[in-house]
Amino acid sequence: MEGTPFFKLSEYSFVAGLLAVGLALLGYVLAIVLSRLGVRRSGLAAAGAGGGTVSFGGPSITAGLATYGTIVAWLGLAFLTAWLILRTIAVGHGPFANMYEFSVSFSWGVLGAYLVFERRYHLRTLGLIALPVTLLMLLYATTIPSTNEPLVPALQNNLLLTVHVAVAIIAYGSFSIAFGAALLYLIQPATGRRGLPRPEILDEISYRAVVVGFPFLTLVIVLGALWAEVAWGTYWSWDPKETASLVTWLIYGAYLHARVVRGWRGRNSALLLMLGFGATLFTYFGNLFFGGLHSYAGLNQ
Amino acid sequence: MSTSLRGDALSAAQDPLDEPEGRALSLPVGDVFERLWHLLISMRTGLALMLFLGFLTFIGTLLTQVPAGTQAVPSAYADFLDAMRAKYGGWTTVFDALGLFAVFSSIWFKATLVLLTTSILACSINRAPRLWRQAVHPRIAASPAFLDHAPLAGYVAVPIAVDHAAEVVRAELKRHHFRTLVTTDEDGVAIFADRFRWGPFGTVIAHLSLILILGGAVLGMGGFRNTDFAVAIGSTVPVGNGTALSLKATDFRDLYYENGSPADYVSHLVLYDNGVQVAERDIRVNDPLRYGDVTFYQSFFGPAADMVVKDSTGKTVFDQGVPLIWGSNDGKKSIGQLTIPGSDLVVYVIGVASGKSDATIKAGQLQVEVYSSANQTTPIGLQVVDEGKPATIAGLDFTFVRERQFTGLIVARDPGALFVWAGALALVLGVILVFLFPSRRIWARVRGSGTGSDVYVAAATRHDMGFESTFRALIDGVQEKGR
Ligand code: HEM
Repeated sequence: MEGTPFFKLSEYSFVAGLLAVGLALLGYVLAIVLSRLGVRRSGLAAAGAGGGTVSFGGPSITAGLATYGTIVAWLGLAFLTAWLILRTIAVGHGPFANMYEFSVSFSWGVLGAYLVFERRYHLRTLGLIALPVTLLMLLYATTIPSTNEPLVPALQNNLLLTVHVAVAIIAYGSFSIAFGAALLYLIQPATGRRGLPRPEILDEISYRAVVVGFPFLTLVIVLGALWAEVAWGTYWSWDPKETASLVTWLIYGAYLHARVVRGWRGRNSALLLMLGFGATLFTYFGNLFFGGLHSYAGLNQ
Repeated sequence: MSTSLRGDALSAAQDPLDEPEGRALSLPVGDVFERLWHLLISMRTGLALMLFLGFLTFIGTLLTQVPAGTQAVPSAYADFLDAMRAKYGGWTTVFDALGLFAVFSSIWFKATLVLLTTSILACSINRAPRLWRQAVHPRIAASPAFLDHAPLAGYVAVPIAVDHAAEVVRAELKRHHFRTLVTTDEDGVAIFADRFRWGPFGTVIAHLSLILILGGAVLGMGGFRNTDFAVAIGSTVPVGNGTALSLKATDFRDLYYENGSPADYVSHLVLYDNGVQVAERDIRVNDPLRYGDVTFYQSFFGPAADMVVKDSTGKTVFDQGVPLIWGSNDGKKSIGQLTIPGSDLVVYVIGVASGKSDATIKAGQLQVEVYSSANQTTPIGLQVVDEGKPATIAGLDFTFVRERQFTGLIVARDPGALFVWAGALALVLGVILVFLFPSRRIWARVRGSGTGSDVYVAAATRHDMGFESTFRALIDGVQEKGR
């Protein structure tokens, strides 16, 4: 299978996606750095001009850079989508069966969720967190062999494998957006900080992201239970991966309720989202720490 | 005595049950219940319970959990603790005392789960009537104060008569898919509009579904789950556990990919109920055999030995395949066990594990060890036998007829599973209902003014940019259409 044209094309798409995400991030970082410099220089200029509010150069260049960044990020999503399709064709099942496939799919989820939220709320700053997360996942994927190991019997359930993990990717993508927004919330004082999105907006974005992610995570767990029943003969066996996903689910469940309690809105609930994303990553990387039944091809000793 | 002290400063220190007055008797009890109730429905309590359950679960993920059944065997549990000591050192004693090696059956976990369930139930009971009222009998006229100070509030003056203006507001609300309810009073026209009014019941469904799931899990304990049901190919084994089922395995295949990793495990099974054949088919991982509420799952496999045992009179007392389901500690041998019906003898048959070699037992040979069930340390007889050659051990005539395979199954009956699945479905639907169909409520008031009508529109909502823009569009629409 490694030699087929689809396999080769999928590898190229992966590399193209990786480069695009890297470039997009570069565009965003440059835009932010330049706009910072621009702010400072225009401040000087303003002082020099005796109170005028002229600023030169900066804004249009930075706006342009950021716009290109977004376009390139969409291009990256297109490449990664191509990867998903080509890889599916090449290996004959949803590309979710080993750590390499799952990592690329995860980064697709993060990037996709970011771009959807960016389109809706026009908050590029969020990209400064979402893009590095995407890039790190992709770079991590490059460290794992992309070879296609045949599926062990337990994983031979095309429908459940595909749906269970595809849904997980949407959930994890949403949670990473919730995390990004909560992080931006936490690094500024309650009254907000120049150059960062307003805290209320970030709070709402976090909530919206969890509102998307929580039903999907619920579905992941239910589908996982269904699969466990079919493959292992019990819907719940306290397998570490199951357990970790339960922790994650409880934290996000607590977050949804916490927003109703006075005093938990804002800062405390943003902290819960930090915890939640920690749990998400723990669930995701769990296989590396503990054994259990959820072993993927490609990671078994 | 207590009567004389009533009203005195001392009475406060008295046992409330000691006081003769009905008021004093009932109030503290009512008070306790009321406090308990408020504690149960408090979101802080709920939060604390959810997070604590998450914390316990996290511990259960981090710490190695004792395998099921190990705690029932003291020596096995001691071995387990020794292994843990190598990992956690002195903490092992602490973790053990706190029950952290079996978190999910610990008192902490169970108590938290019970409290959480109670709290969820209390919250639902507490909230459901209000949700019902809001969906079925909403308040149509909002107070002037609300119209002025609601989180979302808008005001438009339009140069048209009150009735006409009210019609415009209704039309705009309808255009945004709101249902409208209208009353007219001395103050003008009051309009209430809502959308997805059943959405909030998603929380009730989600909450009750959790109780259904937990109830199903408890019911499931009434079933059974046998994880080492081994059937030698060619043999028929009773399922037991209160069923009249017996299972015959006629074939097992383990298939591998070129790189040696497993590709497929397939057993061919024939199922009998009271001796009558009721099912026959292949099962594999991910494709179990279901019969009634009993399910057979492909789980493991290994070698088996067909054994025939005759007593001293030449009568056959045993003729079946014996699965060699255990491995020796060094992994070099496979061990199976058989009992001779009508005797108190326990027989172990020991073969060389596949791919291994042994000094005393060669390929094509088995070591047969016979013990009395009372003394399983010193064998009554022990002999290595060749395939096909009868041998007399402890007065019995053993023949190792041929080598076979066995298929290892999980057999389970879960009477709670249906509840769990119903609960899981309800949970997913409930959560989708809450979030996909968030309820929206808008109140409007149209009053006559000197030049036409004043329209006040208000909504109580959390930060929600989508709704805010709908709200704004609505007000713009009223302004536009009301010209
Ligand atoms: C693991 C346990 C629980 C789960 C999965 C769960 C699930 C949910 C969900 C999905 C919502 C909708 C959230 C939203 O609209 O943002 C909700 C709302 C709610 N839950 Fe729970 N719940 C749990 C435990 C509890 C407990 C223990 C309580 C009581 C202390 C509680 C009381 C409520 C209330 C009052 C609401 C409505 C909040 C509002 O006003 O919007 N829940 N629950």
